[in-house]
Amino acid sequence: MINFENELKKFRPSLEIEDAEEIIYNQDLDDMADVLVSLIKDAKAEEASRHTRIRS
Amino acid sequence: MKCYQCGAELTERDYCPNCGTGVKVYKRIIALSNRYYNEGLERAGVRNLSGAVESLHQSLKLNKSNIQARNLLGLVYYECGEVVAALSEWVISKNLKPDDNVADEYMDIVRNDPSRLEMFNQTIKKYNIALNHCHQDRLDMAIIQLKKVLSMNPGFIRAHLLLALLYLNDGNYAKAKTEAQKSLKLDSGNVMAARYLKEAEAMMLPQDIKNHEDTTKKQVTKDVVRYQSGNETIIQPVRTNVFTRSGSIWGIVLGIVLGIAAACYLILPARIQEVNSTYKKQISTISEESDAKSAQVGEYEQQISSLNADIENLKEELAAYESVDTTGSATVNLMKAVSLYLNEPDNMDAIEAQMDSVNLDNLEETGAAGFKDLYDSFMVLVGAELSKRSYAKGYEAYRSENFEEAIPALTKAFQYDNTNVDALYNLGNAYYESGDTDNAKVTYDKVITDFADTSSASSAETKLAEINNATN
Repeated sequence: MINFENELKKFRPSLEIEDAEEIIYNQDLDDMADVLVSLIKDAKAEEASRHTRIRS
Repeated sequence: MKCYQCGAELTERDYCPNCGTGVKVYKRIIALSNRYYNEGLERAGVRNLSGAVESLHQSLKLNKSNIQARNLLGLVYYECGEVVAALSEWVISKNLKPDDNVADEYMDIVRNDPSRLEMFNQTIKKYNIALNHCHQDRLDMAIIQLKKVLSMNPGFIRAHLLLALLYLNDGNYAKAKTEAQKSLKLDSGNVMAARYLKEAEAMMLPQDIKNHEDTTKKQVTKDVVRYQSGNETIIQPVRTNVFTRSGSIWGIVLGIVLGIAAACYLILPARIQEVNSTYKKQISTISEESDAKSAQVGEYEQQISSLNADIENLKEELAAYESVDTTGSATVNLMKAVSLYLNEPDNMDAIEAQMDSVNLDNLEETGAAGFKDLYDSFMVLVGAELSKRSYAKGYEAYRSENFEEAIPALTKAFQYDNTNVDALYNLGNAYYESGDTDNAKVTYDKVITDFADTSSASSAETKLAEINNATN
């Protein structure tokens, strides 16, 4: 049995043309490649700090 | 494929030939993105739009620069009626790859038809209004609004789904089922639509299901032809041509023909009759006016004849009055002459002038006896003198052969004194000399008769004999 109130909550207002610019600017465009690059950067930074600690 | 570090073109190796960065994992991510794109493409191909959106989102999460996936996602959104989402994807795609991008064409299609874009915007606004009505528990208003939305944009899946939900809530399961089926026809992978369909079917009574199926079958059989070929059932669309497909054309033609026929056989005779009756009324009015005028002319003619008769009577009366007036004037002149004589008996010139205007002929006709007596009495007193004067004038005129003057003067002279035989004889001579033999004969006869045994009578006899000889 479908609950009308719960089902109604699933419906969101449709995007209007006047809102298009805002939607485009606020869209999160980060992808897995960006995540990978940041992971690699973090890994390199951690390795560099470890070398510094061993030397000291 | 390009290196995420330096942007150089990658080879088959697991590191970048330019900067030496390891790209093994990166390559796997790109491959996975492409795999999702392929999956999305396949799903879109079978109108599983929800599944396609899901796969394409995955693809873009793995690689935001997957232009094909982004463009396809825009197309899928456009097909769902989500125009703004579609435009957003195409704008981002264009931003990521400015050159040689098919998103340009898609955006041009939307941009070059502003009325269509406006229509999409209106449907979106109306949908949002309907959703607002739902939240404020104005469900009837929401249904009306959604029907408007779907009449403008039948491909708006979200509107179909919301309408199906409202019908379900309203207990109108058949309509809910129809809307769910329409949603599934547009988007075969739509889980929400499938759920609503299942719910509607579960809630429908067996009788309702049968009626609904009959209605659906009728719609299907209109569009397809089914027949058995061996063990196979062939279902093919009805072949349509310009005559079968556009039966409405024949309907229009038939309608025009029937309309003309109706105009000829129903409307036109009535119109003609109406015009005829109008003309008949006008004719009868004109003939009535004509009759009235004819009668008036007859009256006028009668009046004219009666007036003419009156004129004749008046003329007669006028003539009578004129004669009376003559008598009156003769009487007045005689009275004046008498008055002159009484006052100045010696002023014969004035008395003569006054008596000249007294005409005894008219007097005799009117028979004024008193006047005659007065005249005779007055002539006893002055007749001889007046006769003498007139005779002198007349004789002188006769001698000078002025007969027009001589005849009246001599006539007056004899009139004043009927014993003046010379005046009468010379009057006969004046008539004779002027050529008036008839009056001359009458005058000579009078001389012979009234004054016999006178020299004038002998001369008159001679003259009369001359006249008789001349005429014989």
